Amino acid sequence: MTTMQRAPAGAAPSTRGTRDRRRGGPLRRVPLLVWMFLLVPLAVELFWVFWPAMNSFSLSFTSWKGVGAAKPVGLENYQRLAADPIFHTALRNNVIWVVGFGGLSVVGGLALAVALNRPGRGVGFYRSAIYLPMVISLAVTGLFWRVMYQPDGPIDAGLGVLGLDWLQRQWLADPDTALYAVLIAAVWRQVGYIMVLYLAGLKGTDPTLEEAAAVDGANAWQRFWRIVMPQLRGVNTVVFAVTVIDSLRTFDIVWAMTRGGPYNTTQLLSTYMFQQAFTVVNLGYGSAIAVVIFLLAIAFIITYLARQARAEES
Amino acid sequence: MSTPPFSRRSFLLGAASLTTVPLLASCVGTGADGGAGGGTTALTLQSWIQDAGPKAALESVVAAFDGPPVTLNSVATEQFRAQLSTYLTSATPPDVLGWYAGSVANSYADEGLLLDVSDLWAPGGACANFSDALRALSTGADGKAIFVPQNYYWWSIFYKKSAFQQWGVQPPKTWDEFIALCDTLKARGIHPLTNGIGSTAWMSAGWFDYLNLRINGAGYHRELLAGKHSFEDPQVTAVLEQYARLVPYFHPNQTSWDAQQAVTPMVNNEAAMYLVGAFCTEYFPADQRDDLDFFSVPTIDPSVPSAEEAPTDGFFAAAGSQNPEGAKQLLSYLASAPAQQSFIEKSGSSNLPTSPDVDTSTFSPLVQKGITLLNETAEITQFFNRDSSDALQTTADAALTQFIANPSDIRGTQRQWQQAAQQVFSS
Amino acid sequence: MVTATSTSPARRNHASRSPWFHVVMVPFTILWLAPILFVVLVALRNFDDIAARGLGALPASLSLDGFAGALADGRVGRALVNSAIVTVFTVVASLALASAAAYALSRFHVPLRRTILLVMLAGNLLPPQILLIPVSRITQDLGIYDTLTALVIVQVGFGLGFYTFVLHGFMRSLPGEIFEAALLDGSGPARTFWSIVLPLCRPALAALTALATTWIFNDLIWAMTVLRTEAQFPVTAALLNLQGGFSNSWNVIAAGSLVAAVPTAIVFFVFQKQFVSGLLVGSNK
Repeated sequence: MTTMQRAPAGAAPSTRGTRDRRRGGPLRRVPLLVWMFLLVPLAVELFWVFWPAMNSFSLSFTSWKGVGAAKPVGLENYQRLAADPIFHTALRNNVIWVVGFGGLSVVGGLALAVALNRPGRGVGFYRSAIYLPMVISLAVTGLFWRVMYQPDGPIDAGLGVLGLDWLQRQWLADPDTALYAVLIAAVWRQVGYIMVLYLAGLKGTDPTLEEAAAVDGANAWQRFWRIVMPQLRGVNTVVFAVTVIDSLRTFDIVWAMTRGGPYNTTQLLSTYMFQQAFTVVNLGYGSAIAVVIFLLAIAFIITYLARQARAEES
Repeated sequence: MSTPPFSRRSFLLGAASLTTVPLLASCVGTGADGGAGGGTTALTLQSWIQDAGPKAALESVVAAFDGPPVTLNSVATEQFRAQLSTYLTSATPPDVLGWYAGSVANSYADEGLLLDVSDLWAPGGACANFSDALRALSTGADGKAIFVPQNYYWWSIFYKKSAFQQWGVQPPKTWDEFIALCDTLKARGIHPLTNGIGSTAWMSAGWFDYLNLRINGAGYHRELLAGKHSFEDPQVTAVLEQYARLVPYFHPNQTSWDAQQAVTPMVNNEAAMYLVGAFCTEYFPADQRDDLDFFSVPTIDPSVPSAEEAPTDGFFAAAGSQNPEGAKQLLSYLASAPAQQSFIEKSGSSNLPTSPDVDTSTFSPLVQKGITLLNETAEITQFFNRDSSDALQTTADAALTQFIANPSDIRGTQRQWQQAAQQVFSS
Repeated sequence: MVTATSTSPARRNHASRSPWFHVVMVPFTILWLAPILFVVLVALRNFDDIAARGLGALPASLSLDGFAGALADGRVGRALVNSAIVTVFTVVASLALASAAAYALSRFHVPLRRTILLVMLAGNLLPPQILLIPVSRITQDLGIYDTLTALVIVQVGFGLGFYTFVLHGFMRSLPGEIFEAALLDGSGPARTFWSIVLPLCRPALAALTALATTWIFNDLIWAMTVLRTEAQFPVTAALLNLQGGFSNSWNVIAAGSLVAAVPTAIVFFVFQKQFVSGLLVGSNK
């Protein structure tokens, strides 16, 4: 396999090889060992992720109950999706989720990173405290917060103490608040993680640039947006990838807290897919929902990367 | 690992099946593989039971099995359901699996995934003396027995005798008395009814089932659940109208609780009654269990024959079992009177044995009363999902929890429910 | 360079930090930790106390009943061991493979390297739920179903894309002069990788180790897909069983949740220094 794969690379030097040599790139040819470095991990991922994914995607054109032969139904599952009110709710909730969960955790994480960037007394403690929720699994986070939101739990009790009784409600059972109640719990866990990513990024920025700008009379806000932000581009890419992945894949915490209820009002694409595929055992339909999730994620990533590539060129 | 030579070809196969769907040359969507032969004698028993008492009871019963060694795996119910088809279609499936009789078992039986256990039902077999109703329940479409019932339980309205005494009220005999009792309790600041429809939304179907049984009868109920009637029928309207009358009587926190947490207000005498299966006794503190009593949901229309819900749990074996004889031996043991007796005594719930040979005279008065209830009723149903399917249950969960939040919109509830149900029946 | 210049402004800034900083941060941090503190309190109450006085009340008496209940039959303990084994092997194997792939993609002119990287990252965008049934069938066909090996391999495959993506960004930011010097020394790609690239990537690897540990240790869905023997279950699955069995006994559930979170907390605090300084991700190129 390796020799086969090498052939196109070997054919290239007539054009690309010379160009590389002219540019003085020290590694103009890819050694066999390096191919192995790349191909072994790639093969593992293709075999364990992409092949099963292809199988599942092909199921989205069938009706399959998990046993027996799958019955091909063409695009029927997708037509049903288009008319399925729960799917529409899930899609809308997912948009709210990407914006709310992604937005709040990025803004909160960045703000905290800027606030806690400079070392000082107590800063290490604050950082650890804010990161701590990340070590708790999503399912357990959901459980923690289910306790918090219980009718006689601490949130309602706290509101009572503050004299805000009129705010008390069954947070997870009220369709107006359930999705946001889950969202808060998810953001609580995510913010520390985003903060750490930005702390790492801030550490790599060049403080002399900022000082120079300060001397030129730029205020803190201007300095941040004009000087610091552009230097965080690398971190932003990672943060963006992580946020999109995590928000489209969110499952455990919703499942642990509401199971998509009350009456499907907190259904996300992932929970609806799980319900269709495994509770209802309608694997074809579940696969169709998964395809939609995947396409959405790809669209986000491609849009972002295209923009980034343009920015790099200019 | 030998993955690299595999991956490329396999990947292309996967890609090919994407474009040419009928050629599913892949690992899923094709028929089940027959089980490979193997001479292992050890048995695997896969269980979905999660309540602490019954789980420990099953463990101790299995440990006393005098046959091949048995590995008992308890898997969380939700995951068990998700994995069930994988378990059964595996080349080396678990030998015996706990589940319940009904549509799910029958569809697996149709695919040939369940072991034929007709010998156990034949004269001299462990299930030979079981009731005809249980025999019918355990038999697949082709007349082969595929299921071994182990225990069942009744649904009724549970209450605490001491609490009723303290409040000076009596269990009602008629529907009007029941409503009057609810009014009396509510006027005293007690929540007449409790329920847990938060993460166990299916609990909301308990009242639906009973109201339908009392108003329209078991025959209509079964047909409705089989898709032979519409959820937009006037009969369903009548059921929901009664349900709407009950909504104000429920503890408002029912939407945040699950079935277990719903007993808490009863423990504290803040709520009075709970329509639930007899498994609930295990949820009460040990010193309150003897205080529990129940009455059947009162008759609404005297012309409708009596009916009760009695879900049956038990086991089936995988057709691909490596040790079918051992599996049958284990099933026979689990169905035997001593094993059933031991399971029920240790589990702390009030489940009933399926074997007529179990000496029930030592059981608590509550259980005796439950046995009488089921013996005297004209019709027996199981529960919404067991009489229909888990898919239809999800439509009921959504429709009924939404209805409970907004009981005024009966027509809208019916319309949405029927639309969702239509999807289930047509797929 | 960064360290050389950052010391003096840091000291200056530190001196000038507003006192309001702590006035805001202290209550904020307490509020932030409130859910965890609350769960600790619940875990330390006994069942009767919670049933009688409600979840929101402060403990009337402290008791270890919850922990005793959670750890009673040894399942949670055994599950913790399983989780630890799976996590160690998965983290090591994932990072080894990911750094090799990232090295090849970042330092060599592999054709279509950008596309390959994005394809690998795209693999991470798949909702894992949809892979469950095929993956379970594949492990059965390979005869590794119901083994911890299967769980390790599956998780390695599923995490590779992201780790490669992050390490690629990091390696690309390493100065090219180092590699030219290595080449002049006659160092082959393998030696360069082992003795130059990996040591330079230590902060990024440490950061990813901490991150991957929290992901893998907390995984539930893959474990349920490729395992069916209870003795092999990781702690997340054991916890799920606990919840089903004790949904009334909040103290038991809370105690179990805390026990399950301890190992990842330890890993985080061990790696904390590297973590915060670690993920440079090529931001200062």
